[in-house]
Amino acid sequence: MSDVTTEAIEFNEVCLSTLDTMTAEQLDQLPYGVVGLSAEGLVEIYNATESRLAGLLPAGVIGTDFFLSTAQCMNNFMVAERLKSEPKLDATIDYVLTFRMRPTPVRLRLLRSESTSRRFLLIQR
Amino acid sequence: MIGELELENERLLQFLYACPVGLIELSADGTIGMVNPFAMQLLLPLAGTSFMENFFDVMNTYAPELRNLADGFPAPRGTVCENHRILVKPGNDPGDEKAMTLACTLVKLAQSRLFVALTDVSKQVLQEHRLKQAEVWFASLLDDVNDFAVMSLDAEGRIDAVNPSVLRHTGFSRAQLLGHTMDVFDMQVSTHERLGAADQISEARREGWYLHEGWQTRLGGERYWCQRLIAARSETERETGWDISGYTVVMREVTQQHFAIDQLTRMLTTDYLTGVCNRARFFEMGERECLRARRYSQPLALISIDLDHFKSVNDTHGHAAGDEALKAFVNACAPCLRPSDTLARLGGEEFAVLLPSSTLQGAGELAERLLDAVYAATVNVPGGVLRMTASFGCSELNQEVTNLKGMIAAADRALYRSKEGGRNRVTLALSDQSTVAVG
Repeated sequence: MSDVTTEAIEFNEVCLSTLDTMTAEQLDQLPYGVVGLSAEGLVEIYNATESRLAGLLPAGVIGTDFFLSTAQCMNNFMVAERLKSEPKLDATIDYVLTFRMRPTPVRLRLLRSESTSRRFLLIQR
Repeated sequence: MIGELELENERLLQFLYACPVGLIELSADGTIGMVNPFAMQLLLPLAGTSFMENFFDVMNTYAPELRNLADGFPAPRGTVCENHRILVKPGNDPGDEKAMTLACTLVKLAQSRLFVALTDVSKQVLQEHRLKQAEVWFASLLDDVNDFAVMSLDAEGRIDAVNPSVLRHTGFSRAQLLGHTMDVFDMQVSTHERLGAADQISEARREGWYLHEGWQTRLGGERYWCQRLIAARSETERETGWDISGYTVVMREVTQQHFAIDQLTRMLTTDYLTGVCNRARFFEMGERECLRARRYSQPLALISIDLDHFKSVNDTHGHAAGDEALKAFVNACAPCLRPSDTLARLGGEEFAVLLPSSTLQGAGELAERLLDAVYAATVNVPGGVLRMTASFGCSELNQEVTNLKGMIAAADRALYRSKEGGRNRVTLALSDQSTVAVG
């Protein structure tokens, strides 16, 4: 617990290994959306901020194919393809999402490393 | 009770998030109210990643007629258009699998409420293209049953039999054809631009048949536009599929009368508002002209044109005045063009002129005349008369610019320099990608 709190947890700073060791409660505290995906693109982590923005409860999203069921707008070469094909990735891009069908400009951070199979998508409104 | 409602709300959201059709709700001026992820996925590459607010603005580059169709719809409610085709990304040739076409249905629900459904129909368009080819082909067979040129090819694609019509049709003797591939008919074309005989054969092997269309040379060097149907022959079926024993090829010359223009083709090839050539048609013709120009080492030039400050015309005087300006622009340009030149509206206030047999210099001179003609034109708007100017960029086909995309890019760079230099001027592309202003 003390290890985690001393590490940076800002949207721009937080690193994948920190996210991977945080508890569900700690992830829920973060002011930005956090989505953790398996190598197959199935949702493993869906934090409270993302849940609130999208209007979906984690129970209905976890275990589903994220880019097919919930986030088709990111199913392209800019997001889904990069997370799939780049083994080492830390990129931040401007994007437009459709939270509750409203066009919403966001900043996205795509995180993937070779040390863990889980990849992360951070969403800041 | 509230828990039930929330649950239901969440199910509805899930339903819309996963919907494999793009749905968008608009106000009358095109402002986006709601949009589902699939629609966003289709629109984002068109708009860039900048934030999009207005559907008509995003589509303006590809289908400026959508705004006109919605504005011009007289009834208080009803279907404005259904599966209206929008060519988003032209392919390199008519059968290119990278081409992208969307189908757009626009429904007016109330005076200021529109609903849009968007689907990606690129694959369907590709299939239709092949079906259309087949239809044209069979219709033409009925037209002149007497003059078939029929050949037989062996399994490797070498000619092993020809009928007398082939000899008459091509000018070759039997001995000059037997044992050769169909490449003997084709003019020299670089292979990346068109399927060679071997590729046509493998396409026929995969699909059962292949319809090819292109310039062909008779023995004396005379060229003619030829359609060629290649059908795979197979007598024995194996576990892995049919065993191809050879191919039958039917050839026919296509003359001008087969390109007769009727109402439908006019609708498919012209811009809704101005009546000039539309985007889809322009890319089709441009590719063909590029091939032709390279094959005969003839010049080909292109002018890119943007109406200056067009957005402010729309903002100040309304879209109706903007539409009048576009029509006035076309009317001013038309008398300056030769019959072989093609003026096209590529989107919004972007136009292009394709100039067969013209050099860069010739394009520059024409652009100067167009510049004067546009400046002389007037547009009547409520409360006065509007004058307009345009910026021009010219390019040509040469050693470095070898295809239509390259020509457009070079002309656009020159056009950009015209705008940077203060608009209402002509700039020529230079061969080293720099540009020179001439007026």
